[in-house]
Amino acid sequence: MIHLLPGRSRERLYCKFLLQKFFILSLILFISTYRPAAGAQASDVARFTFSLKDVSLVTVFDQIQKHSSYRILYNADLVKELGNVSVTVKEAPIEIVMNKCISGKPLKYSLSGNTIVISYPSHPERAKQDLTTSSKDTTLPVTGRVVSAGSGEPLIGASVKWKGTTQGTITNGQGNFSLPVSTGSHILTVSYIGFQTKDVEVDVRPGGPLTIDLTASSATLGEVVISTGYQEINKESYTGTAITVSGEDLKKVNPQSILQSLQVFDPSFKIVQNNLAGSDPNQLPNINVRGSTALPGGSNTGIISRNNLAGTVNMPTFILDGYEVNVQKIFDLDINRVKSVTLLKDAAATAVYGSRAANGVVVIVTKPPKEGKLQLSYNYELNVTTPDLTAYHVLNASQKLEYEKLAGLYISENNPALSQDQLDDIYYHKKELVLSGVNTDWLVQPLRTTFGQKHSVYLEGGSPAFRYGLSLRYQTSPGVMKGSKRNRYSTDLDLSYNIHDKLLFKNTISITKTNSQSSPYGNFADYVGMNPYYPKTDTAGHILQVVDSWTDRSRNGTINITPVLNPMYNATLGSFNKSEYLEIIDAFSTDWTIVRGLRLKGLISVNQTRATGDNFVSPFANAFYFYPTDALNKRGSYDYNNNTQTSVDGTLTLSFNRRINKNFINLVIGSNMRTYLSDLKAISAIGFTNDHFSDIGFANSYATGSTPYSDVQQERLIGAFTSLNYSYNDKYLLDFTFREDGASKFGANKRVAPFTALGLGWNIYKEDFMQGSIFSRLKIRASTGLTGSVSFSPYMARATYNYYLNNWYATGAGAIVNDYGNKNLQWQKTRDYDLGMEIGFLDDRLLIMPRYYYKLTHGLIADVTLPPSTGFSTYKDNIGDMRNAGWELNFQYNVIRAKNFNLNLTANLVSNKNTIVRISDALKAYNTRVDSAQKDPGNIGAPLLHYQEGQSLNTIYAVRSLGIDPEDGKEIYVKKDGTLTYDWNAQDIVPVGNAEPKVEGYFGASIRYKQFNLNFNFYTRLGGQQYNQTLVDRVENADPRYNVDSRVFDDKWKAPGDLTFYKNIADLGQTQVSSRFVQSDNELELQSLYLSYDAKKSFYSKFGMESLRFAFTMNDAWRWSSIRQERGIDYPYARSFTFSLMTNF
Amino acid sequence: MKKYFFIVIIGLLALGSCKKWLDITPKSQVASDDLFQTEEGFEEALNGVYMRCGQPDLYGGELTFGFLDVMAQNYTLSTIIDPLHYLQTQKFNFKDAYFISRKNNIWDGIYNAIVNVNLILAHIDQQKHIFTGNNYSLIKGEALALRGYLHFDIFRMFGSGPDNAGKKVGIPYVTTYSNKVTVTSSPGDVIKKVLEDLNAAKEMLESVDPIRTSSYIVGYPGGDSSTENASPALFLQNRRNRLNYYAVCGELARVYLYEGDKTDALSNASEVIDSHKFPWTNQADFINIDPATQDRVLYKELIFGWYIPWEAQDLKNRFQSGTAGLYASPSDIQTIYETNGTGGEDLRYKEWFQVGIDGNMLFQKYKRNPNGTEDDPAANLYPLTAPALRLSEMYYIAAECSYDANPAKALDYLNEVRRHRGMGQPLNVSDKNEFINELVKEARKELYGEGQIFYMYKRLNKSITGQSGSLIPAGDNIFIIPMPNDEIEFGKR
Repeated sequence: MIHLLPGRSRERLYCKFLLQKFFILSLILFISTYRPAAGAQASDVARFTFSLKDVSLVTVFDQIQKHSSYRILYNADLVKELGNVSVTVKEAPIEIVMNKCISGKPLKYSLSGNTIVISYPSHPERAKQDLTTSSKDTTLPVTGRVVSAGSGEPLIGASVKWKGTTQGTITNGQGNFSLPVSTGSHILTVSYIGFQTKDVEVDVRPGGPLTIDLTASSATLGEVVISTGYQEINKESYTGTAITVSGEDLKKVNPQSILQSLQVFDPSFKIVQNNLAGSDPNQLPNINVRGSTALPGGSNTGIISRNNLAGTVNMPTFILDGYEVNVQKIFDLDINRVKSVTLLKDAAATAVYGSRAANGVVVIVTKPPKEGKLQLSYNYELNVTTPDLTAYHVLNASQKLEYEKLAGLYISENNPALSQDQLDDIYYHKKELVLSGVNTDWLVQPLRTTFGQKHSVYLEGGSPAFRYGLSLRYQTSPGVMKGSKRNRYSTDLDLSYNIHDKLLFKNTISITKTNSQSSPYGNFADYVGMNPYYPKTDTAGHILQVVDSWTDRSRNGTINITPVLNPMYNATLGSFNKSEYLEIIDAFSTDWTIVRGLRLKGLISVNQTRATGDNFVSPFANAFYFYPTDALNKRGSYDYNNNTQTSVDGTLTLSFNRRINKNFINLVIGSNMRTYLSDLKAISAIGFTNDHFSDIGFANSYATGSTPYSDVQQERLIGAFTSLNYSYNDKYLLDFTFREDGASKFGANKRVAPFTALGLGWNIYKEDFMQGSIFSRLKIRASTGLTGSVSFSPYMARATYNYYLNNWYATGAGAIVNDYGNKNLQWQKTRDYDLGMEIGFLDDRLLIMPRYYYKLTHGLIADVTLPPSTGFSTYKDNIGDMRNAGWELNFQYNVIRAKNFNLNLTANLVSNKNTIVRISDALKAYNTRVDSAQKDPGNIGAPLLHYQEGQSLNTIYAVRSLGIDPEDGKEIYVKKDGTLTYDWNAQDIVPVGNAEPKVEGYFGASIRYKQFNLNFNFYTRLGGQQYNQTLVDRVENADPRYNVDSRVFDDKWKAPGDLTFYKNIADLGQTQVSSRFVQSDNELELQSLYLSYDAKKSFYSKFGMESLRFAFTMNDAWRWSSIRQERGIDYPYARSFTFSLMTNF
Repeated sequence: MKKYFFIVIIGLLALGSCKKWLDITPKSQVASDDLFQTEEGFEEALNGVYMRCGQPDLYGGELTFGFLDVMAQNYTLSTIIDPLHYLQTQKFNFKDAYFISRKNNIWDGIYNAIVNVNLILAHIDQQKHIFTGNNYSLIKGEALALRGYLHFDIFRMFGSGPDNAGKKVGIPYVTTYSNKVTVTSSPGDVIKKVLEDLNAAKEMLESVDPIRTSSYIVGYPGGDSSTENASPALFLQNRRNRLNYYAVCGELARVYLYEGDKTDALSNASEVIDSHKFPWTNQADFINIDPATQDRVLYKELIFGWYIPWEAQDLKNRFQSGTAGLYASPSDIQTIYETNGTGGEDLRYKEWFQVGIDGNMLFQKYKRNPNGTEDDPAANLYPLTAPALRLSEMYYIAAECSYDANPAKALDYLNEVRRHRGMGQPLNVSDKNEFINELVKEARKELYGEGQIFYMYKRLNKSITGQSGSLIPAGDNIFIIPMPNDEIEFGKR
């Protein structure tokens, strides 16, 4: 039983005490500084003569102060309690007066200059005596703060009680407590779930605030408080699905990317593979949580290739310190600033975000400054990245020429344009090059090994009342393609002012500047295709623009000579493609503890980001090489854009956090508003004379047919919510959330959207009947809820007009309506069911946490076809359902736990199955268009995205194939009706595979031996399929004019009876998309390896340091895949190695 | 404590109760509600409809000198090189992808223009108070006229002709801005609704249209005594680029004639003719050898034409590049124009056709002054316009309507036009059939490249004289263009 403080009077007393204490403290500080001066003028000036009968000491002190220059500092309440006195003095100096005043009272005084401080003697025996002599009401409460031993974070809701008694309390939102002294005990028992219980012997008086640090009971348990952004909830009593990872742990996995490392802890948080962009440092990731809940086409239903699914709109919502930010902010955030990241996944956890919740919510909390003397932390990182070309296997010069010959490039039958003699000439010219030793390794030309650096400094300190923190960061991230980089500079200033633990003001200003630049070397794919016998420089060492030429005959019979341009030439020019942004965020919050357990919190943040992009292409660049002579003044281009984004996010919450008998209530009600404005202006200019005059002002004109462009997007959101976390006796748990959102994006008739979630849980292991069982933990929980997502552009639900900007009518400008604004357009609704268990053995050293989820998204935004007589062919409506179901498993095993040796094993695995349940007619019609688009030259041989009810978004569509007929080298296709044919037909395209793996996830271990820490994680993916585009484009259909994959020498069908994978070598037609190239996709990758060493104290203290750690991290170091496919097409993948040093002063 | 709760509740309510706050006006676009807050907004919306119609998929191309004239067999198409993909359209192959795409674009485009008109009409009455001068009547009148005009053209393409024997095909007559399907109106209902809108428009414009004032003088911009650009308000200039009062009369004459109501057709045509607002083009201007001052399009005679200066380059490519564009072989052009006798004096043939380097006849009606920049109206006598209604058509309508009652008067109308085209010798006919044949022949010459002659064949249910004189028999299979599949499927037509 925990005894709760009764009335309000005590509350007020406590408050007053603190106020005075604060005052005294500051005065003492002040006076002591000026002691010499003050002392000089004090001395024998004052002599007192008075007689006061049966008055309170306060009156006496008042009189003294009134008639002299002495200042007496004392606790009025306390002094009052001591009863009245009678004092008579005559011409007495102050010392005598004071002695008389306090005689017989448990007080002491000290004189310092003309300041008198009245205090209780600090002797414990005396204190106990005082306790017994004075009445209970006169005692001061014991105050203090409970923090986590590791991080120094306050623990909210920790139980503090006098040992062996029923008197106790719990800590408030700042981790502070106040407890009246007990007659029965002088030992405080402090306990908190997930932490080892601690007994603290207390000097009851005069007792400054105590700081009690608790050690986590089990290292494997991780964080125990879940921050939902609006609420801090004890994990033990929570029924939502949330994964919390500390910044420290994130850093161990990947110090370069918060997002990359987060997925190790929860693979449901998935960064969508972008095979084109590889490890481009400027590529923002696409993320989905627990599968895709939107159609990739989103608003436009253009033809989408499976290989280019980058445009998926499925981002979770990112909340940084209580306000919403975009993914770029997290992408560029300094990982050292992160205290914890919480991923909220199911409805019970996310419903408080209402219309933004359906794709999951990532809550990031940055480190608040710690109080104390000035502390300086310094962090240095050296990041080495090297390109990973293991997926590329291209031919060398002599192999390539041999291949060209085999492919028949020098046989006049295949080249009617040229005579055999001419062809021989070309061949021997090349042969000469090869023999003379030209063997250019084009792949490595645009690449480099890079060294990125990062310096982070953090200064913090302050008193309990006022704290400050200042961080500075300088970080360079050069990419493995020469010239590409992303440099980040940031500074944050945290100031907080705490008035008596009642009112907390906090302001954070954060400024980030990012400069990024793309490689002038262009697309990596251009280098992959270059023939190794091309020389890259002339004899003098200058980079050549034209390295060779090809001759062929065009359809109408003319002979074409096509020069081969050196992609490196572009890099020798003055072209640049850069962008930068400056982001300023100011967040101000107040936190008012109205009474204990009841807090009112307000937060307002203003975020402004100004971004510019400049892309200048030199007039001499390869892109303009083929410009006709009458368009020479159009060579060179400059694209400029300027985008200013401003968002304001405000939140007001009232939270109630209290334990009443066996009921624990954590309730929050609040409202939240957000506005967002993006203002983009862009212009394109063409016509530059040379490289040096690269300013846009030198342009000749606007790009043909273009005018200045602008796009202004504005969004507003407002919501009111309540969220209750309730537990009875820590056994029976309940979460309930309700939010109502209004958003400007919604149609006028559907402005307000309600969302709810309910979660129930049962801590079975706390039941009496479970005591003594093998389970140290057994919890079961289930939740369901409805959340929303609004993945459409801001004005879709409105009828808007556009002007004909280029021309006016004879009688003025004209405006025309864009679309049918569907006033009933609303958010996508996701119904979520989640079932989870937490099973722990051996004092939680072995933890198994399985979860199952089922997500059904209703009302996907899609085009609805209209009869065109309505004036429009389509409009947007909520048509279509999608289902994602799957399971997740977290496994943690603390195998060895000893003083010097610790071994933990972890595995986090997930499986998701995506199903399109219902789609609109317009999307069905899209499938027909896709089938015909499959015949377009650009799409032949590349599988396109289809939407079919019952199939997944990840389904691969192609014509079934039985392979190559050994009789004649033709591919045998299976028609829809099952019959066989040689003729490929788009009508026979069926699902042939699924790119979604059956299981994927991470497993690894962390080992600590003395001061060494070793951490590694493997990524694995099993059971999915991939369409191997490399085999199609670079082997079977390889264009012999370009460099190709080394597998071109693999057997192709040549004569009847050949059993081969590839078709007839003589068949020069383009291979059609077929199941022949669908291969099973299994992968194992060493995602991260971390090794750290904590220096010995004897070593670092020599330098005045308080800690010193060296660490080494490897990312993406090793990889095995069942499918041999070129990856990193436009930008190669990279391996990354980071050395870091962390120290505290 | 109660006090605190009170404060919080008030705070929450204050935040939660501003629904209006969620209504955002997009800055780089204009919300319809905002556009219709001002008079200028209505003006811009109306201009927008004309601009929409002037795009190349509609009157700025296909409906004036493309699709419809191809079907009327006015052009010679090479069977080898078919750069504009009209060959199958000319053969009435309704399954050809290019034909389908063009007619779908026409259907979609016209209904898109109609929905823009409907948006104006849906807002104009409740905003009547914001208008100055006569703008309310002018804008509403023109909007109604446009709705009738556009529906009538859609009907003339996709609906059944007045004399067809087969099934009657109507079209939806759309008067709302909605995602709801409008039911198909029968041909009779369509005509009735077109006439309703046009007559209402005529009534609204009658007293307010500046073109009706005597001070409004039609002519070449900047030249002679024209006052077409005199109004200080740009919106009130160039009445002939918009559906002015006389254009509505002319359109009414067309519709009444289509319906067979010759009395009303005649009275409306006569109203235009008798107004003497539109003077015949001076022969000197027509045959002027200076390309900057030559009037090939007979600009003064236009009652209504779509302003399309942005089409200059496209038109140049369409007709000027020999076999790559639309042209006529010398033999084909002689099935349309006469080269001997009285007909041989026809100035239109002389001024509109030029022998190209490959011996084919290049169409010159829309040729621009090659020395002027593409869309600079000042470099030419008149701005680039797609003719929609011209004075000569009024004479033809009057002639057709008069013949039964007064054949001589009918011939007078016809000869009047011929005289202004250089054919001084009056025409004589022995019977109505011959008269109609001559009328069609005359109209085909006059309206070459203006998209009207196909409708005339359809109205008269007349076989079309094709290339090299071959005859394409009249019938629903060539006269009724099938509606777009989406319209049939999703509109349940």
